[in-house]
Amino acid sequence: MSTDRRSSQVHVEDLAVGDELPVVVRNASRVQLFLYSAATWNPHRIHYDTDYARFEGHPDIIVHGPLQGAWLSQYVTDWAGPAGRVKGLRWQNRASALPERDYEFRGIVRGIEGTTVTLDVWEQTPDGQVLMPGEAEVVLPSRVDR
Amino acid sequence: MRAVPTDSLIPAETAARVGELVAGPTTATITAEGAQRYAQAVGDLNPVYFDEEAARSAGYRTLTVPPTYVAYALVKGRPLDAIGVDGLFVGERPITLDVGRIMVGGEEWDFLEPAHVGDTVVAETRLAAIDQKDGSKGPFVRITRETTYTRVPDGAVVARTRQIGIAR
Repeated sequence: MSTDRRSSQVHVEDLAVGDELPVVVRNASRVQLFLYSAATWNPHRIHYDTDYARFEGHPDIIVHGPLQGAWLSQYVTDWAGPAGRVKGLRWQNRASALPERDYEFRGIVRGIEGTTVTLDVWEQTPDGQVLMPGEAEVVLPSRVDR
Repeated sequence: MRAVPTDSLIPAETAARVGELVAGPTTATITAEGAQRYAQAVGDLNPVYFDEEAARSAGYRTLTVPPTYVAYALVKGRPLDAIGVDGLFVGERPITLDVGRIMVGGEEWDFLEPAHVGDTVVAETRLAAIDQKDGSKGPFVRITRETTYTRVPDGAVVARTRQIGIAR
């Protein structure tokens, strides 16, 4: 797990279409999955009961789709810095993620209009299988008065 | 040339429910404890969720919360006998489909106003759409539930989310 965040604020003028966001790697422990179930009052057995998860056809307990969504949200808010505001976020859960494995969060600047930046963001395995493609709209501060 | 039409997996009485309120209205007040437990469980230790000063200097009125937390601030506790064998809560107004299982397909969020600790929010969920698609692994049903989170008493919409379920 990485909780690194930029110490300096990104401004809209710092960016160009095609810029890549820094890669962040996440890896959930079994304890984290349990805590996330508890914090969200989610009793679904596929997230803590290995035998039951296998009975439903999963190879192991699986990472909650919304936890990966929250990681994606954090990926964007960390990048946007304290003065940035995330206005929109969409993702598709295409494949399950497992505990104790590394997943990469990546992003690229797709568009800039005024102070609104559109990003493609996604979660993938280290060998490039995209588990969760997404998009975000972020409003960033400007270095000039608008 | 079209092959034999696929039988609908969506019973007519289910299709007729599009637009219906399927959950809520539910009201809750966002607490620092709940939001911080969520942030810690996600692994998101952004100071704007934990340190009042950091939140104010970032332009928030007071502590803010992870944007997607608003959905979980509104989750009400349910008794043990409301839980099925899979661990899921048995729906009070279940959506009936001729399918095996429903999986999380994705979410679409609009964040209109930052949510803050102390805000009281009302959630209402409607069945926004239900449609059958032909996928590579056969037909599936996409169920879209749209939840609106409205701050009270001023009525400002804080966020809107469309949660997409895939049933096959």
